[in-house]
Amino acid sequence: MHILLIEDDDTTASYLTKGLKESGYVVDRAQDGVEGLFMSMDAKFDALIVDRMLPRLDGLSLIKKLRKENSEIPIIILSALGDVDERIKGLKYGADDYLAKPFSFSELLARLEAVIRRNHNETDNSVLQLGDLKLDLLSRRVEREGQLIDLQPREYKLLEFLLRRPNQVVTRTMLLEGVWEYHFDPQTNVIDVHISRLRSKIDKPFKGKQMLFTERGAGYALRYDK
Amino acid sequence: MEQVTLYDMINNPFNFVSFRLIFIYTVLLGLSVSLVLMFLYFTTARDIELEADQKIIKKVEDLNNIYLRFREQGLFNYIRRETSRATLDIYRLYDSDDNYLAGNILTELEDIKNNDDGWLEFSYKVSENGKDRIFYGRGRELITPRQNFRLIVGRVVNDEKVLKERFFYSSLWSILLILFLGVFGGYFLSRNFLKRISDINRTSKKIMDGNLKERLPISRGKDELNELSSNLNDMLDRLDTLMSNMKEVTDNVAHDLRTPLNRIRTNLEITLMSNPNLEEYKKSFEEAINETDNLIKTFNSILSISKVESGASDLDKSELNLKELIINMHDLYEPITEGSGIKLNYEVTENIVIKGNYNLLSQSLANLIENAVNYGSTNIDPTINVGAKQTDDKISLWVSDNGVGINDQDKEKVIERFVRLDTSRSLKGSGLGLNLVKSAVRFHEGKFQLIDAKPSGLIVLIELPNCS
Repeated sequence: MHILLIEDDDTTASYLTKGLKESGYVVDRAQDGVEGLFMSMDAKFDALIVDRMLPRLDGLSLIKKLRKENSEIPIIILSALGDVDERIKGLKYGADDYLAKPFSFSELLARLEAVIRRNHNETDNSVLQLGDLKLDLLSRRVEREGQLIDLQPREYKLLEFLLRRPNQVVTRTMLLEGVWEYHFDPQTNVIDVHISRLRSKIDKPFKGKQMLFTERGAGYALRYDK
Repeated sequence: MEQVTLYDMINNPFNFVSFRLIFIYTVLLGLSVSLVLMFLYFTTARDIELEADQKIIKKVEDLNNIYLRFREQGLFNYIRRETSRATLDIYRLYDSDDNYLAGNILTELEDIKNNDDGWLEFSYKVSENGKDRIFYGRGRELITPRQNFRLIVGRVVNDEKVLKERFFYSSLWSILLILFLGVFGGYFLSRNFLKRISDINRTSKKIMDGNLKERLPISRGKDELNELSSNLNDMLDRLDTLMSNMKEVTDNVAHDLRTPLNRIRTNLEITLMSNPNLEEYKKSFEEAINETDNLIKTFNSILSISKVESGASDLDKSELNLKELIINMHDLYEPITEGSGIKLNYEVTENIVIKGNYNLLSQSLANLIENAVNYGSTNIDPTINVGAKQTDDKISLWVSDNGVGINDQDKEKVIERFVRLDTSRSLKGSGLGLNLVKSAVRFHEGKFQLIDAKPSGLIVLIELPNCS
């Protein structure tokens, strides 16, 4: 996977580059908006990470220009402006996700993977399946090993969110935003309790392998290893 | 700007708007009064002259008739008869050699002006008690065709002339008086006005010099200047509140963030010193990351509070259903409360649609529920109720618990930023939760209070105006 990082701050850029390389990405960096726009025309990149405030051409304008050129490349904005309103603005300009500084690196990794995968396998399938775990979007039935699982509406939504991102790390913030549509950090571990409830329904009763994993320091992942 | 002194005003009155305005106004007023008076003068004077002239013309006609019938002798007799009694008419009859024959003026006429329209203007002196008195006359000259006698017929116009002169001079004086009163009155009025402006200027300068508690003077009455001062004062009050808020936040941030920062630093430093193995390194780093995460959360809370407090206009309000909001919140927190043996109930029956900021309200509710979970669950059978109700004029929203509650003297305190009661110090939290609720409620133009629950516990009651 090839990432273009458009970030003017050298220190931030070098940390991010290092971290992304550690995680198996190939990273190129542009120092300002104009250079970034020029480089992003190259089809070799799989995703862009764009700082919101850039010299010469700011992040939002860059994204707007790119989208005008019909580029569908996944884009994540990094910004020191963390308001919900700013976020909405960023998404409106055509970004796929918006991350406020300071962010945790695992949050960036999870979201980066999510936007890249979304681009690669948007399915119109009405059944989401991972291993022997199946979720039927039309009948709202969930089953594992052929056995029907009774889920509360919120548990169903949570599982759907995870099943749409199979074998991917999703962070607590992503779950809170995606499932509850809240944009704040609770001081307590509310999400963890919801996950463990879900786990007790989709993992514990079954003989098969564990599927819902806790990713230390990052979040959760629904995995299936053959 | 320096204070305006009398000296400045006298030297440079045109530097002052008010003086300039008053001067222009006075000149315009003077001009228009002059025009009116001039018009009156000319029409009145014309009338007076016309009346005198009519009489003379009549007299000339009479004399013409007499001449046609009795010739020069008739004129002579007529004049002798007329001049034997007191009259304002003037007659002087000369023969063809310019010898004075008859009339009622004994001295020679002086300053004779022969106007183009056939009228003569002249004056003559009469001795009265040894003093010369000057009379003014106006008349016409007739020459008899046969013997070339010359006759001057006229009238004394002293009264008319005096009237005209009086009129002229009183007009002139009135205009001068108006100009004088205008300029000096304007000067004094504007000095009063300028004094108020210079008071405002002086106070502004004091404020600029850092004396931020100064306020602009407001004199009695209700005029534009007072309104301006009062508006500026309101603005200064608002700025002052914002400034002190900001100062308070900065102070608190400095104080409250120093502790975790110090923990991080010490932790990392000791890890480095103690020749750790890989596991210990990892553990130390994880601790540091957790601490920084908490710092970031605190920062984010401060930022959102500040944004709400500053009345940010870009926080939008949209229609939202409080019932939905409460059920969603209940849904989010129910598992965690159940895990700790706390009952979380919601008490809302009807849909309550309000205009509000979804994120602020949900975060406020989340903070209140978390507070109740953390501090209000000391009862053997801990219960938390979240509810909403609407009446005609207001919408109530509450979170209540049956824990130990808060002392009356602490109720005010807990709302402040970073305040944490001793009982809660051991628990994690930023001390910003209730403060955000306060700001959010203020943003929605509502009230919020802490009430003792019966028999024990705390009710946080939020009341929003019912705008629907």
